[in-house]
Formats: sequence, C-alpha cells, structure tokens
Amino acid sequence: MYLVANIETEICAATSCKLCTQYCPEANTILYDNEAGQDKGLKYGSAYVAVDRCKGCAQCVWVCDNMAKHNAIKMEMIDQIGDTALTENVTYGEKTSSAVLANPVRGQV
Amino acid sequence: MSLDYVKFTPGFGKFMPKEYRDMVEHGPFGKKVSVSQVGTFKEILEEHPMCAGCAMTLFIRLAMVAFPNPEDTITVGTAGCGRLAISQAAIPFVYGNYGDQNGVASGLTRGLRLRFGDKPKDVVVMAGDGGMADIGFAQTLHSWFRKEKFTTIMLDNEVYGNTGGQESGMTNRNQVLKMAPLGKKFEKMDMLGMAKVAGCAYVATVVPNNPRRVESVIKKAVLVAREIGPSYIQAYTSCNIEYAIPTDKVLEDAKTVETDRYKFTEYITDEAKEYLSQLYGYKEYLPKPAAAVEKQ
Ligand SMILES: Cc1ncc(C[n+]2csc(CCOP(=O)(O)OP(=O)(O)O)c2C)c(N)n1
Ligand code: SF4
Ligand code: SF4
Ligand code: SF4
Repeated sequence: MYLVANIETEICAATSCKLCTQYCPEANTILYDNEAGQDKGLKYGSAYVAVDRCKGCAQCVWVCDNMAKHNAIKMEMIDQIGDTALTENVTYGEKTSSAVLANPVRGQV
Repeated sequence: MSLDYVKFTPGFGKFMPKEYRDMVEHGPFGKKVSVSQVGTFKEILEEHPMCAGCAMTLFIRLAMVAFPNPEDTITVGTAGCGRLAISQAAIPFVYGNYGDQNGVASGLTRGLRLRFGDKPKDVVVMAGDGGMADIGFAQTLHSWFRKEKFTTIMLDNEVYGNTGGQESGMTNRNQVLKMAPLGKKFEKMDMLGMAKVAGCAYVATVVPNNPRRVESVIKKAVLVAREIGPSYIQAYTSCNIEYAIPTDKVLEDAKTVETDRYKFTEYITDEAKEYLSQLYGYKEYLPKPAAAVEKQ
C-alpha cells in the first residue's frame, strides 16, 4: 500500500486559499469544488485530490502547513482513506469541478 | 494547428476516453485560463512517468497553463527528463536528437511562417541544462545570433538527471555528484549573459515556487518571440533524486536557492517593452511620464 494526499474539507472550506492546487507537480490532481462544505455552512469551497493521479510526494502538505498555515492535508494509506475522489468520477463545470466520492481500492460509487 | 484539431470527428465523441472528452469540453483551448484557476478546468498535461515531487514537473505543468494560445503552440524537446512529461500534453511535441532542439525549432518556426504568414504559431523549446548548455550549445547560440523567433526554456536542474548524475556546464563549481565524485572544476556557465550578448529580446530567470511569476514570464517570452526576437527563460527546476532532496522539501529548497543564487531577473529590450505595452496592454512597460520639473 502507499500514501496519497487527503484534504480535510472542513478546514479547507473555511479559508480556501487555492495554494496547494498551484503547487502540486501533477496536473489535474488537486482539483477545486466551489460548492464543497456549503451543506455545513462553509462558503468558500474546498480543494480535493484525485488520488489515482497522486504520486504521494507530500509537497501539498508542505504548502498547506507552511505557506497557507492551514494544516488541512494529511498523507494517508490508500486502503485506509475511505471514500475519496477518482478521476473517473470527476465532473467539470463552469469555473468549478466536483467528484462523486468512491472507495479508491474497491472503486464503488 | 487550430481549434479544430482538438475537436471530435462527428459521431466519435462518445467512444473517446473521459480524459479526452474533458480536455475538449473543459480544457483551455480557445479560452483565457490562468494559474489561479487550476483545479477548475482540465489541464492539457496528462499523466507521465517523471519522478514524484520533481520541481521540473511542476514547472512544466505551470508552463502548459501559461501558454497564451495552447491551440497554436508546438513544443520542441530532446533527451532528458522533461520530455517524459512535455510529450504527454495535448499539444504537438517535436522530439529532436539530443541537443538538436534549437536547430529543429529554427526550421519549424520558419516553416510555420511560410505556411501561416503572420498568424501567430508559437514554438517553445523546453530542454535540460545538459541538452542546452553542453550538447546543444552551438545550436542554441546560433539560433539566438540568427534572431530566430521562438522561445527557449532551460529546465535547469544543474545535472544530467535522466542518465544518473553527471555534471553539466550549469552545475555549480565544486558540486559533488554521483558521476562527478571529485566535484566540478569550473564555474556555472553564464547562459543569461550569453543570451543577452547573442541578441535575445527577453531573458528571465525564474523558480517554480512562485507559480504566478512563472506564468507571467512564460506569457511574455512567448509573445515577444512572435514578433520581436528570440526569448530565453532559465528555470531552476531541482532534481530531487540526484541532489537527494526529500520530496516534501523540494519547495523549501527552491525558496532557499531563489534567495541565495537564483533570484528573479528580467531583461527586456526597449523594442520588446513597447510591443508588449502597445499590443498586449502591459502597463509596467509603458513609458514613464517625464519627472516633474522641480520648482525653483
Ligand atoms: C547523442 C546522445 N548522447 C547521449 C544521450 C544520452 N542521454 C539521454 S538524456 C541525457 C542527459 C540529460 O541531461 P539534461 O539535458 O541536463 O536533462 P535532465 O535529464 O537533467 O533534465 C543523456 C546524456 C542521448 N540520448 N543522445
Ligand atoms: S493549501 Fe490547504 S487550505 Fe489552501 S486550498 Fe489547499 S488544502 Fe485548502
Ligand atoms: S502528494 Fe504530491 S502528487 Fe499528491 S496531491 Fe500532494 S502534491 Fe500532488
Ligand atoms: S531524475 Fe531528477 S529531474 Fe529527472 S524526473 Fe527524477 S527528480 Fe526530476
């Protein structure tokens, strides 16, 4: 098993700096959902990781901890992570994207 | 080379992979996108085999977002790590023999001008420091002296990364590498100075820990090369493998190196300033109003 990045929506959606998305070396990997967290009253939307593209470098963790100072990203084992985003479940819209979450190992939606 | 080449043949769209459909429907073609919008549109760079956490990968990703007209851009590369990613983007990529990239780009640029006249088609070379400052040195310098109108970007990881750690002309003096065990014996080459002497109209150094600056210099370099003359960007893109930088410290290293010896620099000729301000609205290059005469 291997580590991938996981973003805690509640912390990210409280501030939404969009820094990690600009610093991940991989394209189309940290995406942004403008509506995430709105059901919990958080208004900014949240970054999320398409874990099938994540190479586990943890640069986003450094960015969120040291540049953004929000500590919203943790590296987690892919089989421990629970439901998360996968490229095949991502939909792009006008100036946003969103994902139906699924288990990355079992792959069910 | 136009917006049409990314569209589906009628009736075939539904058979295309999701990534391809996303790219056609939500990619940057024919739109203005910026680095601050990444994560909300489909980027043209796809999955590739470059190492996890490689700063060169990050730089290439940002460059692909920054191209002013991706649908009218051709990239040219050569052997070295960068081509592993540059070749995996939804824009045409020409792969020359090792070191041939600026010669290939010269011919390509001239051919495109013959074929398309003044309609801009942007040619962008991206190659490693070994490919550019050592093996391809003569062709790089000649393309500049001949004022070939395309952009040259050096992916400067200060080592031959792809072949396991030999020193290049761009490695720093005394640097010990796997295949330079006694340390390098001479100074890092001054390619920036040579670019200016050889007549580049726009020359900049940049480090990818400032994504918006990367975006800005690439846009300017590509626009200047359309009309004014050759442009050169030298980007510090560390090799975390050969320099043993833990992947979660790559950006910290970039910051330290930027402060220490890779500061942002920009050189631009007056002609290029005028062109960018007149045609593309770059206010920073508008002529400064004459200083008010001091009252006696
Ligand atoms: C004519 C020729 N000589 C040698 C090679 C082997 N070769 C492939 S990549 C490479 C080094 C690349 O170093 P650099 O250009 O600095 O790019 P990096 O991999 O560091 O990005 C070499 C020597 C080759 N492909 N062709
Ligand atoms: S850096 Fe942290 S807070 Fe900022 S967008 Fe990314 S996860 Fe959210
Ligand atoms: S761990 Fe690396 S590859 Fe994965 S999302 Fe973070 S920065 Fe991107
Ligand atoms: S060998 Fe170095 S430059 Fe090449 S992909 Fe790996 S980290 Fe990047």
